[in-house]
Amino acid sequence: MAGLGDVVRGTVQIAEAMGVTLKALATKPVTVEYPDEPIAVFPRYRGRHMLRRYDNGLERCIGCALCEAACPTGAIYVDAAENDPENPVSPGERYAKTYEVNFMRCVFCGDCEEACPVEAVVLTQAFPLPEQERRSMIFVKEQLLEPPDANIAIRPAH
Amino acid sequence: MPDLITITIDDVEYKVPNGMLLTDAAKLINIDIPVFCSHPKLDPLGACRMCLVEQDVRGRWMIVTACTIRVAEGMKFRYASPAATQAREDTLEFLLINHPLDCPICDKGGECPLQDQTLKHGPGVSQFQEIKNHKAKRYPISDLIMLDQERCIICWRCIRYLEEWEDKPQLGLFHRGDRSVIDFFPGQPVDAKTSGNIIELCPVGALTNRVSRFRYRPWDTKNIDSICVHCSQGCNVRLDGRIHQLRRVVARENMAVNDEWICDKGRFIHAFADAPERLTTPLIRDHKGGELREAGWEEALALVAQRLAFTADVQGPAAVGALGSAKLSNEAAYLLQKLMRGLVGSNNVDHRGGAAVLADPRGLSAIRDVEQADLIVLAGVDPAEEQPVLATFIRRAVRRRGAKLLILHPRQIEDTRYPGAYLPYKPGQEAALFEGLSRGLLQEARVKERAARLAGFADLVDGLGNAAVDAAGAEAVRLMLSAQRPMILYGPALVSGRAAAANRASLMNFALLAGCVERTFYLAPEANSVGARDMGLLPASLPGHAAIGDAPGRERLERLWGVKLPTQPGLGYDEMLEAAAAGRLRALYLVGSDPASQGPAGQAALQKVDFLVVQELFLTESAKLADVVLPAVSWAETDGTFTNLERRVQRAAQAIANPHSQAAPDWLIFTEMAKLWPAVAGEAKAEGKKSKRKSSGAARQWGYGSAAEVLDEITRAAPMYDKLSWDALGDEGTQWPLADAAGSPLSAVASRRLTPPERRSVAPGRDEYPYALVAGQVLFDYGTLMRQTEVTERVAAPVAVSINPADAAREKLAAGQPVSISSAVGQVVLPVRLDETVQPGTLWIPYSLPGAPAETLLGSVSAGSGARVRIAPGALSSSEKVG
Ligand code: SF4
Ligand code: SF4
Ligand code: SF4
Ligand code: SF4
Ligand code: FES
Repeated sequence: MAGLGDVVRGTVQIAEAMGVTLKALATKPVTVEYPDEPIAVFPRYRGRHMLRRYDNGLERCIGCALCEAACPTGAIYVDAAENDPENPVSPGERYAKTYEVNFMRCVFCGDCEEACPVEAVVLTQAFPLPEQERRSMIFVKEQLLEPPDANIAIRPAH
Repeated sequence: MPDLITITIDDVEYKVPNGMLLTDAAKLINIDIPVFCSHPKLDPLGACRMCLVEQDVRGRWMIVTACTIRVAEGMKFRYASPAATQAREDTLEFLLINHPLDCPICDKGGECPLQDQTLKHGPGVSQFQEIKNHKAKRYPISDLIMLDQERCIICWRCIRYLEEWEDKPQLGLFHRGDRSVIDFFPGQPVDAKTSGNIIELCPVGALTNRVSRFRYRPWDTKNIDSICVHCSQGCNVRLDGRIHQLRRVVARENMAVNDEWICDKGRFIHAFADAPERLTTPLIRDHKGGELREAGWEEALALVAQRLAFTADVQGPAAVGALGSAKLSNEAAYLLQKLMRGLVGSNNVDHRGGAAVLADPRGLSAIRDVEQADLIVLAGVDPAEEQPVLATFIRRAVRRRGAKLLILHPRQIEDTRYPGAYLPYKPGQEAALFEGLSRGLLQEARVKERAARLAGFADLVDGLGNAAVDAAGAEAVRLMLSAQRPMILYGPALVSGRAAAANRASLMNFALLAGCVERTFYLAPEANSVGARDMGLLPASLPGHAAIGDAPGRERLERLWGVKLPTQPGLGYDEMLEAAAAGRLRALYLVGSDPASQGPAGQAALQKVDFLVVQELFLTESAKLADVVLPAVSWAETDGTFTNLERRVQRAAQAIANPHSQAAPDWLIFTEMAKLWPAVAGEAKAEGKKSKRKSSGAARQWGYGSAAEVLDEITRAAPMYDKLSWDALGDEGTQWPLADAAGSPLSAVASRRLTPPERRSVAPGRDEYPYALVAGQVLFDYGTLMRQTEVTERVAAPVAVSINPADAAREKLAAGQPVSISSAVGQVVLPVRLDETVQPGTLWIPYSLPGAPAETLLGSVSAGSGARVRIAPGALSSSEKVG
């Protein structure tokens, strides 16, 4: 048979627990309705790559393949070609004809971005990457190129 | 043992060979003095100051260039002293002041001595803050090479290579000081045939390869040692591949073969290996007149095996023939003739330049022997176009050792610029020319005395008569007699065609009289011309040069192959085409051979055969006529060995593989086809059933699992290949020994008998056809492999007929004007080109131009290199259009 003491203790405990609940009811929830709502990431978060352009629209990437050489997982493939001086893709003589990142391999270390002599490849804060097929996990240059209206915040230096 | 002397470097005494350059001596003792301008294959110059060290000059320490100092007893140097180190660091800092440092877009990046040495010896920072000098970038110095003047560090290597090896000073240094630039002379871009070597010599990215430009990074190509298969020299190369494509070809050192040079064809012409037009699947034409359709290998191979076996059964084996090519590897050539002889039972196998050429199968003694000669006779051969790297060795002999050249050629070829003599002749006059020279030699008492001991002497003297020797001939004779180490080199043009035997006899008479017959060598034309002969890709000889009629030789192969071999010699190249045209040859198998693109006669012949199989890289003119087309792979996509003009058997290893293509190596195609051969398949089945029927074992004869296994069998089939193996060949190859040839069929070639000259009648129809056509090989033509390359249009020989300006004036022809040229067998229309090196009375058309004009006029590829023709102004009408 439970004594009065027990009843009082139980009531206090319930009240304490309810208090937590009630307090939480009053705060904003941490859950984000992803993907309907955007998600905030830390300023130095490293997500999907982007190939940047200059203000005049020319691609920054010169196809030097240094990112490819720097990549520890062999995720990048670059094939360069010669610019047509009349109709250049990038400034100078050389541009990347093919640029691919294999996101099944990439570990988002950022070494590629570190290696790039012209700050062409950057890891953006975009992280949604799931795809239905392996094949589509290889992003080609057209997918990686900065869209004309993109507004990229370059991550602060470490 | 060279005499050793003592020098001191950084207070340590070393013993080094006397007279050696300090940079080289230091290398021996593991001191790596950095250099830019100095190069082991170029004369020391001292242009770049990278190699600065201190030297004790009468008690004072002076800064000197290590690359120009020859060490002598007691010399004292300092390499690691602060002053020397500082001097080198300063040199680098100065070099980098105006260097663009555009390494990320520079093709040299990753293999650049300037990068490497800056890391090792450079200052790490620059004190220079002003604006750099700007000079020309992306500045082509030829159709093949791009110059970036900003990157140049003025080391002179490019200038020196062209002067010292090519003897063509086509690049120079212009302006002074920091404005200095390398440039070509106005209007004269670099056109030396081995110009690409300056790309590799350049210690920075100033000179780059326009064909491979931006297509490779040195760290991400897969590099395979191989050889070049564009000519008979067999230069050693490295094939740099990436994602199944051949991205770049660079030279590999092999002192015996190519030193460390390759020619521009070897370096720049390789797009054919990756060309999108390559055949990737077998094609079958179900009925004559129908279209080619794609098919699987099983179906195509079974069809070929059945139809060839059926034709051999019903029409007789002689109704089946095969034409290979001297570009096929030893393995492919060997298996093709084994298939024809062993399974079809026909000796009808040959290749272009095969039986029709009276070649000396021993080839050249050794390539580098040319550098030891003091007189080189070039008889009907132009190494500058046919073996350009050999040509640089010949020039080296002339420039460095004072050798002279005696040139006998229908055209005044480039090397006639050297001391010696030039004797022009027209095709058909070769024998007369040598007879004249022999007469000249015999006027010398000592020659006569020596020659009198030779068999056939009296008949020769009789036949030669005593016509006078002209001045040029007399000069040639004088050269010949005053030479200590003469060497005679002759090419296929001299010993093919109707007069081949007479030409060779007259050449050999001349060589015997001059006492030079042991140093008279045949320069084979194609990558595997020597190997194709060794492999028996000929109608009358078996692997190892055993004649078909030679019973012991034949029986040896019968035991090896487990079959009975046909005993009658087969048909040669032209004879097969004639037999096809006449309906006697009913099935033809072409492997790397394209008679249809060699003029209308070949085309007509192929149209007549019942069953035509073409095994090729591309849908050639012949393949378009085929009933079955089998896609083969190029030399870069399979293992194979090739035997070069000095009998050196060398490996060409597989460098790339196209995963999207079903094309297969020749050796594999033959092997799989043989397994489907009705007799073989039947036997295999019978053996499987353990039937009592006696099996010859032919089924087991075709079990090759790799090219190396085919080579293993070759070593048993051809005695001179004995003891060779894929592994033993190594990176530098092995020459098959001439000693083993003694007593073999080869020794017959070296007879020491004088042959009386043939009586010749003057060719009729001189007036109707007043000109002599001269046809010949040029480096850059429009052959099947050349045509696949973008650069062809830029570098290939002009598509034109060349005529002496005097003749053009008489005929009232202007440059560029179309003319029609006709011979007894064909007619073509070409634009006129004026050329003083073409003799009056002759017309010059290279082989393998679009539409095959030279071949059309000659009528057959075996007719030799000359024909009588006439020329008349003519517009291009649609029916005669060339190309
Ligand atoms: S982030 Fe790292 S792993 Fe990913 S591509 Fe760049 S270098 Fe490679
Ligand atoms: S992204 Fe940068 S490092 Fe990568 S190839 Fe382009 S320019 Fe070079
Ligand atoms: S030549 Fe060498 S140092 Fe100069 S840009 Fe090219 S890679 Fe860099
Ligand atoms: S172009 Fe190259 S090889 Fe020629 S001088 Fe300049 S740096 Fe030397
Ligand atoms: S290497 Fe000695 S001066 Fe250039």
